[in-house]
Amino acid sequence: MSGVCVVMEERNGRIARMSWEALAAGHTLGAQLGLPVNAILPGTQTESMAAEIATKAVAKVVRLEHALLAAYTSDAFALAMEQFIRAEQPAYVVFPHTYQVRDYAPALAARFGQVLIGDVTGIGVGPVFVRQLMQGRLNGEYSHSGNGTCFISVQSGAFRADQADSAAATVEIFTPNIEQAQIRTKPGQPFRGSAQTVDLGLAQFIVSVGRGIKEAENLGIVQELATALGAELAASRPICDNGWLPIERQVGSSGQTVSPKLYLAVGISGAIQHLVGMKGSQCVVAINKDPDAPIFEIADYGIIGDLFEVVPALTEAVKSAKQ
Amino acid sequence: MISSLPTLAEPQHFLLPEKLLFVALAAGSGLLFWRRLGPILRKILASKKDGDFRLFPLRKRAWDFFWEVLCQAKVIRQRPLPGLAHAFVFWGFCAFALVTLNHCAVGLGIGFLDPSGRFGRFYFYLAAAFAVACAAGILGLFVRRFLVRPRWLGDKLSWESGFIALLIFLLMATYLAAFFVVDTSGTARLLWWAHTITLLVFLPIIPHTKHLHLVLSPATVFLSRGGFSHIPPLVGDEDFGLVAGTDLTRLVSLQAYSCVECGRCTEHCPAANTGKLLNPKEIILGLRSYLNEHGPTSSQPLLGKYNSQEAVFQCTTCGACEFQCPVGIEHLPILIGLRRGAVNTGAWEDDHGAKLFLALERGSNALGMSSTERDKFIQKQELPYFDGSQEYCLWLGCMGGYDPKGREIVADFVRVMKYLGTSYGVLRKEKCTGDPVRRLGNDLVYQQLAESNLEAMAQAKVKKVVSICPHCVRTIQEDWKEYGTPPEIEHHSEFLAKHLGKLPTVQTQEKIVYHDPCYLGRYRDVYDEPRAVVSNAGQLVEAPRHREHSFCCGAGGGLAFLGEEKGERVSHIRADELVETGAGTIGTACPFCNTMFRDALASKGTGAPELLDIAQLTARSLPGASPSGANVR
Amino acid sequence: MKIIVAIKQVPERDAQVHIDSTSKWIEEGDMQWALNESDAYALEEALQLKEKHGGEVVVVSAGPERVGSTIREALAKGADRAIHIDCDDLNQRDALGVARLLSEAIGTESPDLTLTGLQSDDLGYGQTGVILAELLGLPHASLILHVEKTDAGLTVKRELEEGWFQTIEMPLPAVLTIQSGGNKLRYATLMGIKKAKSKEIRRVTSQELGSVAPPVVVLERISAPQKQKSTQILGGSPKEAATALVEKLKFEARVL
Repeated sequence: MSGVCVVMEERNGRIARMSWEALAAGHTLGAQLGLPVNAILPGTQTESMAAEIATKAVAKVVRLEHALLAAYTSDAFALAMEQFIRAEQPAYVVFPHTYQVRDYAPALAARFGQVLIGDVTGIGVGPVFVRQLMQGRLNGEYSHSGNGTCFISVQSGAFRADQADSAAATVEIFTPNIEQAQIRTKPGQPFRGSAQTVDLGLAQFIVSVGRGIKEAENLGIVQELATALGAELAASRPICDNGWLPIERQVGSSGQTVSPKLYLAVGISGAIQHLVGMKGSQCVVAINKDPDAPIFEIADYGIIGDLFEVVPALTEAVKSAKQ
Repeated sequence: MISSLPTLAEPQHFLLPEKLLFVALAAGSGLLFWRRLGPILRKILASKKDGDFRLFPLRKRAWDFFWEVLCQAKVIRQRPLPGLAHAFVFWGFCAFALVTLNHCAVGLGIGFLDPSGRFGRFYFYLAAAFAVACAAGILGLFVRRFLVRPRWLGDKLSWESGFIALLIFLLMATYLAAFFVVDTSGTARLLWWAHTITLLVFLPIIPHTKHLHLVLSPATVFLSRGGFSHIPPLVGDEDFGLVAGTDLTRLVSLQAYSCVECGRCTEHCPAANTGKLLNPKEIILGLRSYLNEHGPTSSQPLLGKYNSQEAVFQCTTCGACEFQCPVGIEHLPILIGLRRGAVNTGAWEDDHGAKLFLALERGSNALGMSSTERDKFIQKQELPYFDGSQEYCLWLGCMGGYDPKGREIVADFVRVMKYLGTSYGVLRKEKCTGDPVRRLGNDLVYQQLAESNLEAMAQAKVKKVVSICPHCVRTIQEDWKEYGTPPEIEHHSEFLAKHLGKLPTVQTQEKIVYHDPCYLGRYRDVYDEPRAVVSNAGQLVEAPRHREHSFCCGAGGGLAFLGEEKGERVSHIRADELVETGAGTIGTACPFCNTMFRDALASKGTGAPELLDIAQLTARSLPGASPSGANVR
Repeated sequence: MKIIVAIKQVPERDAQVHIDSTSKWIEEGDMQWALNESDAYALEEALQLKEKHGGEVVVVSAGPERVGSTIREALAKGADRAIHIDCDDLNQRDALGVARLLSEAIGTESPDLTLTGLQSDDLGYGQTGVILAELLGLPHASLILHVEKTDAGLTVKRELEEGWFQTIEMPLPAVLTIQSGGNKLRYATLMGIKKAKSKEIRRVTSQELGSVAPPVVVLERISAPQKQKSTQILGGSPKEAATALVEKLKFEARVL
């Protein structure tokens, strides 16, 4: 059978946001090609999550169930998915481009003589898959040749998760054959660099600070603005590398991905690694003294000026507006 | 009348035993002298030959010898009172040459200068005058060292210096006393022996102490490398700089042994003055100690027991040390040589340093920014590209091309050139001149940058260059010579001074204190041109330490790219000094000085003086000028 | 330990890119090349392991002649020898094709550990290392920041999303893809370059390694991205701009 198969990923007992976006991408592809869209969820004891997925306009939901899928390993997931794909033979397999997917999907595709088209930002007619090259400076359009399964993964924030619910679809269970001996790596428990105090992914207002702040002592003025706005403080990578803010406040490709109502980038140039983490924000404001800073490309509003003057002024303006 | 003045007593008729004793003592003294000097000379000669040393042309060497050694010009000029005292001691020694020869001859009964003869009388009185001056001089220096105790001579009292001072005083005293006795008296004989013993005790002490400079420093001054901060090229595949004893060259060894421990270098060193480890005098003495213990054929690392890597990397290469040294020691090639030894072998582990090297290994500028940023600046300012037809190639440099303040300076300078109708163009692609990596001792990256730039310039047929940055100017003009023939280059102060007549003068009462950049002043001898430009824009005010004594801003030697400095910040010290002149504006001629002072003044809050480059000072008096920086990012 | 590091020569990070006349690739005429950034971290990790445990570090790189300069840079930084897979058609291969080339060249070397960078600065697939592990039949882990050799094999530190990390224990031989930033990179030294002159670079052509299957994934066209929206720049003094911004946020964007 053919069809579009979207691989959902669970994290801490919930479906991760990027999976919903991948599902949206799957729907786009399905609609273009007139193919049914199924969802598959590897893991164990995934009833409630599967039930949730079933209400998202899919033809069916497949629970890829096995005890050895409880903790992620590339061997187990690749093996399980391989068996499923050989059985189902979907035309397209759509993944969210998560760290986990990057770790096993290429190996999985290779078993079918295929190559994953990864980090896709758009799907065009053809289908043609668009992804970024040269660190975002160019776009490349990729096509898939041959009759084999086409594997793609979609970039975070490239597709907006569908809001609409539908009638529940059927939920099936597929049990792969996996032996413990086939799993060659032993993963440990995830741990944080430092104690977690905030989940930026849930924040509605974020004030983010970059290298323009120059020194740790100057964070005070930005903190004041954040307090006035009722916002969380975040930062670009260099600030966290320096230890000026804890790592869980880092926004970017190697930090948090955020999608607040308001994202205020203070003294951040807007390198691609940072943009990737916040481009899903509803409204972006940038304050930077360099008018050519890339951040202005994606900002809705910008102030070109010295942040040491603008930020205190903004704090005052916000305070008076709130009175 | 003259005949009634006392004459120098010369004892006659020494007995044979006395003569023999004298000869024995003299031989013994000479032997001890040679026993110490010989090995030193051998060590110097056993050191590696200097690859690029050229004895000819002799004219400058002869002049330096005359001026600095014989006239003691540097000694006096840089520390007037003690310098004069020393000069008298030195001249006393010179004057005493014949006296001493005759003295020894007298002891053997073959004295050749008749104290009562016309020439003898004249000469001995002349020598007496010098002896008085010398005695006064040495007394003054003694008081300075033991009572006044200036910091730069070190914390420990040098008893050996005191002893030597005593000996010199005795030599003069015994000489002068001999005017007041007659030839035949027993006192004359006693005085003769006292003078002789003092002499013979002094002689062997010379090579054991810093007084070795008596023997070596005239040669050291004469045999200098030439140029200022002249960095010798590496020779062959095994040469990585000053790593071990085997890398010490003859000039370095000679200079190490010539150090007179006066501390003038340390006195003017910005690092030593702000609580850092670096002490230029100790660097040189450290090498001397190394040579004494290990010699020039040892493979023991130079940075270890006697000198530390940390100290060596605190140097801003400002050149105050090399400039001050009265005995011809060239500190900068030594410091940079030690850095080369650490960097070229990978022994230097520094996060910021590695970051700088990696940025220049892969990219085009020291700031690690994309070259598209420079392109955007060029497009925004509508700067023409150099196509071979224009008079000047305007070199932007890393600061002019990427730093917001540097860009403002470039923009204002461009405005001036437009006003003057000077044709210019900028290169399509510029790489860092390599100054920071050159001064930090990374010859690999430096060579890549120099060669790449030279080729680009040759291809673009660049004949004349103008730049706002003294570091670029120095590196292009001097350092690039190692890899090719660089084009002519001017600093923008030289350009502006040339054209001052055509530029409007808007005389204001505004006081502008001008800060001499190290790489423009001491390195290039350009002091008057920027002052002319400043005077054209306001009232020139001098900082206490100005011209050759200008105090570094702290950015040089690659330090602008390294991490936080220990101790007080050099830039803050200098900024304070400039602010205290009461001037409303600080005038700079280097984008690095500009950046360093900007940071320092920022911490002063409001009321700090304005900070403007000479290009900005000039541009603001042009018709239709907008306030500096308004249109530029 | 015998460690193989697969390195790629990519366009310099801040190079201006111009699409060539076929619209399938960029113009390479004026291009400046450099060692791929995460590969530099892979090399650094390998060199540190060698310094700790002894052994040999061999770099492998595929590409035309110009790749030689990047290979020499790796040798200068401390790799012991190199294998240059001479091929002009790297762009015509997909990730599977490239991984096949590497696996065949590495073939007889039987390394204990193979390292690649996480992803390349130009194409950025991030797959070559994972596919290579699959072709060699070896266990692998990706996004690795730190590697430690143990008696049983390796303990590695892997980066997870949102500031989390994980240690993984795995046997040797294995393949790892290395994330940037795990170590401090060493700079190339003059001494290193001089020593590199005498180090072996074994050259093998892609034809010798076997024929290549036609790619299943093809890059059809490249283009410059469109700017999505226009930015409103608020001018005036800091006070004026701040007041204007608050107005906009309240009434236009309606987020305050």
